[in-house]
Amino acid sequence: MIKTRNVLAEVESKELLHKAGIPVVDTRLARTKREAVSISKQMGFPVVLKISSPDVIHKSDAGGVKLGLANATQVGKAYSEIVSSIKQAYPEAEIHGLSVQRMAGPGVEVIIGMSKDPQFGPVLMFGLGGILVEVLKDVSFRIVPVSERDARDMIREIKGYPILEGYRGQKPVSIAALEKLIVRVSQFAENNPHIAELDLNPVFAYPDKAIAVDARVVLE
Amino acid sequence: MFEEKLKELEPIFYPKSIAVVGSSAHSIKAGSIWVWSLVSAGFPGHIYPVGSRGGRIADLEIFPNLRMVPGEVDYVIVAIPRQSVLELLDDCAAKNVKAVQFFTAGFSEMDAQEGRRLEKQMLEKARQGNVRIIGPNCIGVYCPEHKIPFLMGTLGESGSVGFVSQSGGIATKLATTGIARRINYSKGVSFGNGIDLDASDFLEYLAADPKTRVIGAYLEGTRDGARLLRTMKAVAQVKPLVVWKGGRTEAGAQAALSHTGSLASSPAIWSAALKQAGAIQVNSLEELTDTLLVFQQLNSGQGTRAAIIGGLADGGGGISVSAGDACMDNGLKVPRLSLETRRELSRLLGEVGSILHNPVDVSQAQFRGLPALFQAVDSVTSDTAIDVVLIQEDMDILLPIYTWKGLEEINEFFIELRSRQDKPIIVVLPPGSAEPERLQLEQKLLAASIPVFCSMERAAKAICRLNQYACRQGAK
Repeated sequence: MIKTRNVLAEVESKELLHKAGIPVVDTRLARTKREAVSISKQMGFPVVLKISSPDVIHKSDAGGVKLGLANATQVGKAYSEIVSSIKQAYPEAEIHGLSVQRMAGPGVEVIIGMSKDPQFGPVLMFGLGGILVEVLKDVSFRIVPVSERDARDMIREIKGYPILEGYRGQKPVSIAALEKLIVRVSQFAENNPHIAELDLNPVFAYPDKAIAVDARVVLE
Repeated sequence: MFEEKLKELEPIFYPKSIAVVGSSAHSIKAGSIWVWSLVSAGFPGHIYPVGSRGGRIADLEIFPNLRMVPGEVDYVIVAIPRQSVLELLDDCAAKNVKAVQFFTAGFSEMDAQEGRRLEKQMLEKARQGNVRIIGPNCIGVYCPEHKIPFLMGTLGESGSVGFVSQSGGIATKLATTGIARRINYSKGVSFGNGIDLDASDFLEYLAADPKTRVIGAYLEGTRDGARLLRTMKAVAQVKPLVVWKGGRTEAGAQAALSHTGSLASSPAIWSAALKQAGAIQVNSLEELTDTLLVFQQLNSGQGTRAAIIGGLADGGGGISVSAGDACMDNGLKVPRLSLETRRELSRLLGEVGSILHNPVDVSQAQFRGLPALFQAVDSVTSDTAIDVVLIQEDMDILLPIYTWKGLEEINEFFIELRSRQDKPIIVVLPPGSAEPERLQLEQKLLAASIPVFCSMERAAKAICRLNQYACRQGAK
């Protein structure tokens, strides 16, 4: 079991990744309802609010996430609702505030993760998001350092690859952007040996780019 | 690449003298067996048996102590209890020994704490004394060229296939299977717990060794995965590297821990490491030896478009059908033969009872004589839509129809056909009730660079792997 204090908050995780040149959705912490509204206005609607607390692991299950908030009134209302749901579900939880981010447009969900293997050290995982990774375990692995060629191979290796190529009239996503993202994450893992685990889940893949929507960094 | 490794490990594969510590004049100890094996293999250097009680073995004096050996000692084989290994390492250092192989077991594979502590002390002593360690818990070196057999005297012909194996049992199986199937080894090594020299060192050596053209490996685990991956990458750039990773399942992984003290990684991680390295992954002793056989006998990358000749006589229909499935299931293409070839086959064999597309059933040849059969096989082989020809010969069917003499003639034709053109011919000889004849044919074909397999599935897999390497090299 990972001690929660080793898990960086979403905002901290994303900041770290952003500095390393990994594309993440701009996310800021709001400590009050007013702050949440003003950040939302700066970012532009619709936005997403999420609870930021080291004690809440399954945020959605506890009512800690609200999506697609279209205006200031909705943001204010969502803020109160999230805080009261969390207080009910986790009365002891330490609440840092709520993270605010622009709602990402629809894209193909993929995940990129890093964990440490007892023999090979840092290992990257790639897969399609949602049910494909959870139920079908349709994922591929490569050991850090991951070259461009390795990244290309690991993307093509998953059974769900045709989904990325576009199907039933969907536009294909940018494989090049995913490759670049994987190589960057590999470099990040190499340069930060004190990071035990990393989850970019989900990453949204688009025809022209790929961007991490949620991120979690676990320190050794 | 790795030239320095070649020089460094030279005394291990080509020692001028070997001492065997743990030899006895009377009892049958591992050390004594080693002395006998080296003597009967005709090891060309000095053999010095060492054992505390002295006496003689195989007409050689047994020295009570390594320090009392009169000449220089390059390599030491150790088969004494683990309590005495540290003292022995002092003797090795004093004698200026280059490398020492410990058959002695009972270290980290048995007792994680005490075993590991002892291994650490051994390593420190070896470093101080400038001695390299192979093992412990291993059977060491196999070098047919220099007449170094494995423990029980196993010694095949010298050839171009090198191997490393964490396990002595698997190493021995590789050597004996090699003798049975004419897979001829340049060098092999079993390194057990690998506390000093491990898979990476030996892979580097084999990559640099001019006698080795293809490398096989059996691995259970590694203490330095990052180095192993780097090494495998570099090695696979210069020579085909075929790797069988043991302990892929939970049961296997637990066994690997107590066998060679190897930690478990998930099979998916190992598989990823092998892909990343450009190694060819296999999953059993059969797959490993099958793959080494084709790499030894054929030039790599001749293509995957296969012609299947399923029946040389009665009963070719069903065999053709199942052979087609076996090939396609395992990654070969089975394209239609060209129109000219089909016309030629129809002229030679007639349409009735024949299958003239691909797989080809040429069983009608039994009524038209061997020349028709030969022409049919020749014409399929020269079809430009085809890269490789697989022929299935079923002794139980063919012997009653063609007799042994006819069968010999047929196979001599295959050998002649193989020698006058470049396209690989593969023969599948399924086991049946005529084993002595089958084995005789197998040896004859293998000697003529025609790989022989027990089943179409195994043949198809091996050919695909041969091409997998060429594709990877091509895509560089």
